Amino acid sequence: MIEVRNLRKNYGKLEALKGISFSIDEGEFYGLLGPNGAGKTTTISIISSILVPDGGEVSINGKNIYTHSRESKQIIGVVPQEIALYSDFSAMENLIFWGGLYGVPDNELKRRAKELLQMVGLSDRANDKVSSYSGGMKRRINIAAALLHRPKVLFMDEPTVGIDPQSRNLIFEVLEKLHHNGMTIIYTTHYMEEAERFCDRIGIIDHGQIIAQGKLDELRNDNGAKDAIAITLNHADERQISALQTFWPDSKMADMNLYFYSQDVKTDLPLIIRKCSEAETDIRSIEIQKTNLETIFLNLTGRQLRD
Amino acid sequence: MIKIAIKDLMQFFKQKRTMLLTFLLPIVLITLFAFAFGGIGGGSGDSRISLQISDLDQTQTSKKAAVLFDSLKGLEIKPTELSIAQDNIKKGKESFVLIFKKGFADSVNAGYNPPLELQYDEAKETEVGLLQQSLIPTIAMMPFSLGDPKTTMANRFNNMAGTKDNTERAIIKERSDKLFDDLSAAMSRSNSSGGSAADFLGGNIKMTKLIAANNDNELGLIQAVAGTAVMMLLFSVVGIGSGLLDEKQEGTLKRLLYAPINPLNILFGKMISANVISILQLLVMFVFAALCFGLSLTEHLPGTLITIAATAFACSAFGVFLASFAKTRQQVQGLSTMVVLVMSAIGGSMMPLFFMPALMQKAAVLSVNYWSIQSFYDVFWRNLSITDPSFLKKIVVLVFIGLILNALAVIMFRKNILKLSRGNFF
Ligand SMILES: Nc1ncnc2c1ncn2[C@@H]1O[C@H](COP(=O)(O)OP(=O)(O)O)[C@@H](O)[C@H]1O
Ligand SMILES: [Mg+2]
Repeated sequence: MIEVRNLRKNYGKLEALKGISFSIDEGEFYGLLGPNGAGKTTTISIISSILVPDGGEVSINGKNIYTHSRESKQIIGVVPQEIALYSDFSAMENLIFWGGLYGVPDNELKRRAKELLQMVGLSDRANDKVSSYSGGMKRRINIAAALLHRPKVLFMDEPTVGIDPQSRNLIFEVLEKLHHNGMTIIYTTHYMEEAERFCDRIGIIDHGQIIAQGKLDELRNDNGAKDAIAITLNHADERQISALQTFWPDSKMADMNLYFYSQDVKTDLPLIIRKCSEAETDIRSIEIQKTNLETIFLNLTGRQLRD
Repeated sequence: MIKIAIKDLMQFFKQKRTMLLTFLLPIVLITLFAFAFGGIGGGSGDSRISLQISDLDQTQTSKKAAVLFDSLKGLEIKPTELSIAQDNIKKGKESFVLIFKKGFADSVNAGYNPPLELQYDEAKETEVGLLQQSLIPTIAMMPFSLGDPKTTMANRFNNMAGTKDNTERAIIKERSDKLFDDLSAAMSRSNSSGGSAADFLGGNIKMTKLIAANNDNELGLIQAVAGTAVMMLLFSVVGIGSGLLDEKQEGTLKRLLYAPINPLNILFGKMISANVISILQLLVMFVFAALCFGLSLTEHLPGTLITIAATAFACSAFGVFLASFAKTRQQVQGLSTMVVLVMSAIGGSMMPLFFMPALMQKAAVLSVNYWSIQSFYDVFWRNLSITDPSFLKKIVVLVFIGLILNALAVIMFRKNILKLSRGNFF
């Protein structure tokens, strides 16, 4: 449904995007995961056609978004990274105004606004000025404001930055509902938990490039990412440890923890435990740490996702 | 576009502080200026210009003249001995003394302008302008009103002819007398109230006096209202224009651009709302001046409305232009304060133009203020009809200024949007 080909964008000397490509099917929830400054917002701005790229193409339903600007804008909803609302207006007034720009008829607008307020859990505050809202409440209205024209595609640029857990959970519920109802969603974030939780497919973006892309499992396998079996010791005996590490070279000792890396924990775990008991290791606890996007990112870039 | 304009208006009316600045502050300023420029509230002593009169002539005629001045509305006459009067000025108690010199009566009776001298405190030069406004017509008509109109006329003709030949003078006198008699006869025939020629000329004097008094009153008021109104309008319109930059900063501009609308409509919406608010602001100020200071608004309604509309158009274009041209609100604020103050100063918003040096008066045409204030003068003081070319010319200039600035705003906005599309958004 959405085809993004080889997007490039320079800000002066800075190459913000160095050829971004991805394509998204209808109804898919696509996550763009990357640290701050990776180029997520730049990508979203280009595909919502308010920023002209220096190279590359974007089409929605086979139509180039620049030659079919109005048409594509009508089916896109955008939740910007910043809270873009009129703070002197009430939530209701904001929704009605923003929806009105998309040509939704007045009576219909009111109905949808009420519905959306209900959905984001702010019906009771509908007529209060947005300036009196908490950050999380503003975020919720920020999302609702992108939905009045019932877009087929929703672009969300880090919609959960800096909010309270309650609002965050509410937003997650909303996301799941929208996804469930078949909306195509592009979601940027630098929280790997969010990407892992919602996204059908994930693109990992860094320094203006997509460095890995696919379903979560694919990402895990493709990058040879291994889970870790972490064994915490009560006391560290040099000889025991070196024996274990010779037995399992792909391992690491840090603090009182001994990490054994494995691509197949199910089969490897019994082997390792047997070896431990043979060596009479004094074990306090055993934990299995599944690879997450964080480790994948670390493997790919040598850096942490969150700086 | 209309939706955006309505949104802008709603935003405006929700901001109490802006509302106060737009409507209350100008009213306060108008009140202050109205009192400062005097002539307000006619009868009340403190607002009148106090004028000492020293009568060195001490004749029947000179005393009549003093009474004449006393009947002028904006003046408070204080007959004072010359030395005391001069002393008062030196001590700063008084600003002027008008001296009726010896031979006052003789000159007047012979039909010449009387020997008068105005001594004043140099520091009060501005007041002299106002004083002259009210004195000159009366003084000019004195030979008619106090002396024999017939002699006066003959003398004037003689002066104009510039002859010293006695026979010629006699002829001129004869013709002038005949003209006077004819005029007088014609007047009494046509005038149902049965006035004589003397009445006719006397009436003329009274008329002059009346206009002088009334208009002087109105002049100060018009100056106060129009001057303040335009200046304050410029300030508030800059604020409205800067709303555009706020939208940029808040990110709502970006969100407006996501929508399937023509980006220029964002600017047009801003222009519409700026015009509406400007017209409202000017109306409020003029209605206030009419209610509280007796500005003759209803008599001059069409001209006022036309001038208000043209002024609003020019000024709001100025505000939107400034905003489209600057990058941040702070930048606009700094820039606009300078520009508005300078324009207001040279354009006659703070001081009536005739108080200012010739060079400044020439520079005045560069300001929106000038054209607008002059149009208001045309309407209220010069009493021009709305079809008068001199009035229309000023309206055309205002509309032209508005069109140019709006066009520039569109160009700048396009350029900025384009820039924004190239990515220099923040
Ligand atoms: N308007 C701009 N002018 C110059 N540089 C910019 C601008 N916007 C973004 N950048 C730079 O481009 C890079 C990508 O930014 P952005 O797309 O906002 O990243 P993200 O949203 O992933 O945090 C960053 O290095 C950022 O500093
Ligand atoms: Mg971003």
